[in-house]
Amino acid sequence: MTPTDPTRDNAPPTPRKPRQAGWHGLFYVLPALVLVAVFFLVPLGMTVWMSLHDWPLLGNPRWIGTANYERLFSDTGFWNAMRFTAQYTVVATIGLLGVAMGLALMVQSQGRASSIYRTIYFLPVVTGFASASLLWAWLSNVDAGLFSPAAQLLGVTENRINLLANFDTAFWTVTIMVVWKMAGFYMVILMSGLQSIPTDYEEAARIDGASWFQRFRWITMPLIRQPFALALILCVSGSMLAFDQFYIILNGGPRNQTVTAVYKIFNESFVSFRLGYGSALSVVLLIILMILSAIQLRLLRDKGEAK
Amino acid sequence: MNFRTVTSGLALATLGMGFVPGIAVAETFSLWVRSDGSEFMPPLVEAFNAMGEHEANLQIVPVDELVQRYAIASAGGSAPDALSLDLIFTPAFAEAGQLRDMTEFTQALPYFGDLSPAHLSVGTVNDRIFGIPFSGDASFLLWNKDLYEQAGLDPEAGPTTWAEIEDQARAISELGDETYGFYFSGNCGGCNIFTFAPLIWATGGDLLSADGRTAMLNSDEVIAAIDFYRGMATDGLVPAGSQTDSGANFFAAFANGNIGISPSGSFAIGALNNNYPDLNYGVTFLPGQETGQFSSFAGGDNFVISAGTDDSKIPAIEAFIEFAYSLEGQKILVANGAVPVRGDLAAEVFEGLDARYLVSAEAMANGRTPYTTVFNDIINSRNGPWITMLNRAFFATSEDEMLKAIEDGQAEMQSIIDAAN
Repeated sequence: MTPTDPTRDNAPPTPRKPRQAGWHGLFYVLPALVLVAVFFLVPLGMTVWMSLHDWPLLGNPRWIGTANYERLFSDTGFWNAMRFTAQYTVVATIGLLGVAMGLALMVQSQGRASSIYRTIYFLPVVTGFASASLLWAWLSNVDAGLFSPAAQLLGVTENRINLLANFDTAFWTVTIMVVWKMAGFYMVILMSGLQSIPTDYEEAARIDGASWFQRFRWITMPLIRQPFALALILCVSGSMLAFDQFYIILNGGPRNQTVTAVYKIFNESFVSFRLGYGSALSVVLLIILMILSAIQLRLLRDKGEAK
Repeated sequence: MNFRTVTSGLALATLGMGFVPGIAVAETFSLWVRSDGSEFMPPLVEAFNAMGEHEANLQIVPVDELVQRYAIASAGGSAPDALSLDLIFTPAFAEAGQLRDMTEFTQALPYFGDLSPAHLSVGTVNDRIFGIPFSGDASFLLWNKDLYEQAGLDPEAGPTTWAEIEDQARAISELGDETYGFYFSGNCGGCNIFTFAPLIWATGGDLLSADGRTAMLNSDEVIAAIDFYRGMATDGLVPAGSQTDSGANFFAAFANGNIGISPSGSFAIGALNNNYPDLNYGVTFLPGQETGQFSSFAGGDNFVISAGTDDSKIPAIEAFIEFAYSLEGQKILVANGAVPVRGDLAAEVFEGLDARYLVSAEAMANGRTPYTTVFNDIINSRNGPWITMLNRAFFATSEDEMLKAIEDGQAEMQSIIDAAN
């Protein structure tokens, strides 16, 4: 993880018989290969196979070739869901990484107070998405929850406010919930990067009279590039796959405006019972995610590393 | 769990098996019921198991997940031996080859002719019986007698027309203090086909043609019924949370005691009596615009056996069915809110029960089940045309907005039906 890994440059080259080492290596990675095959490649192959069928939840599948994929291109429901998912991903990623970076800067120092705050910020991460969603569904319920009376008490609104009944407030309620729940996770990733920066760089820059922002921009950011890339990719792919919170808190409402891509796949597969079509949508979503991740990796690759 | 706990557990289990009374034919079978049956099924199973002959192993499945869980279990070879299935789904399950033919057993029952015809008709596919009547579920109105008394209304007379519902709801809302005249789950498709559609049927309208091929959402009766709900929502007779309630409060809102009138179903009688004994409520029909009109959704469960169930379990399952059909079984079902499915026992079953149960049975007799092969897509789906239209229209701020929502709903529902046929 550390960008200045001393062992990499300083260790003397060890003499090795390359052929033998190669076979040994395969043996060592075999367990991992088996796991990947069983839990990733086989299900992926099955999904692709199913996507080429008319596959009802109950009853017998029928081969239909690429008909599911042809249908998908004119399915406005799916592309609306993709557009909403992209919008949510942009907002959630900016919110999450912004807050996580702020928290990481606050708690990076060693010490008792820092470790207490670290624990507090991390706590929501260990709740499941479903239970966190249920909690927030209740908090934002207009008749029984806390947000509406709190808003009245603070004088923000005069009447009760049903946050979940219109798109803007509903969208922000869910997004804030996600930031509350997940920021601690990305904080830990970014913090590990911050702690690996040698303090002398910072001191040197300070002596040279660099401002806080200059130090952050020209020392901190370049040196946490790798953990930042990890956080970004996890955050984007996590948001692109969002489902629980929109299903539990909003049911895809109001007016079906918060149906995400995975929600659409769920509806096709388990409400309309079209597993084949649901699989085709999953395959397309997977391809989109792979492209997005590849672009991010390329953008964030350290120029020195790009050999 | 460490090794020692496992082994001692095994030892205990082996010991335990040794003590089971040695009846050679005793069989255990697995049985599923959707969560709507969580009032009437457990006491029935308990009574059956207490007879000591066979054992039914009951699992309650959340109503939204029953079909997918069954499909997954079935694909994995672990389908339940038997289940109490929402009658709406019996044709689809039977046509997919998931169910065991029960024709011979059912027709040999001495009371075959007295079993609920509505259940049997959806349980029969190509003249073979795959699902047999198990429990009935009718829809009707509940009213809170204590609130009626406080509002100066006659606590013994529930509303009999839409206008009366609105007037009485208004009187109760005027009590203030977090009290509301009316409640409905404004974002729940299943709840509203069950309790809102009967208002349309009662006035002579319908949302689907009889063959299920034509959507009729833009008809006068549907528009009038929607406008009736919209008026109550606009005037604040309904709590604000109704707009976003996807069914979580369908029952709980009325049970909390601050709602004057709420549409509900047979299951509520059992649940209210068992869990809210202090709530003083009445039951009346879901009315039309004029006095004397009323209707109900004819819902409930059919009892089905999985196609893959081992023959050795059939005697135990048949014993369970016969127990459920016995006077004792029917009494347990009815006391816990189900409408009985054996017509010949109705008089005896209702003996000693209060009049509310009779309303439920009478509503059922005048009930309807909409027939469509895409019920889940157009009606039950949380994002389907039925609930999307209702939600937009109920809470529309102008008449134009309401009519636009209905027009959109009609177009979308028709296009889903056309795509499936």
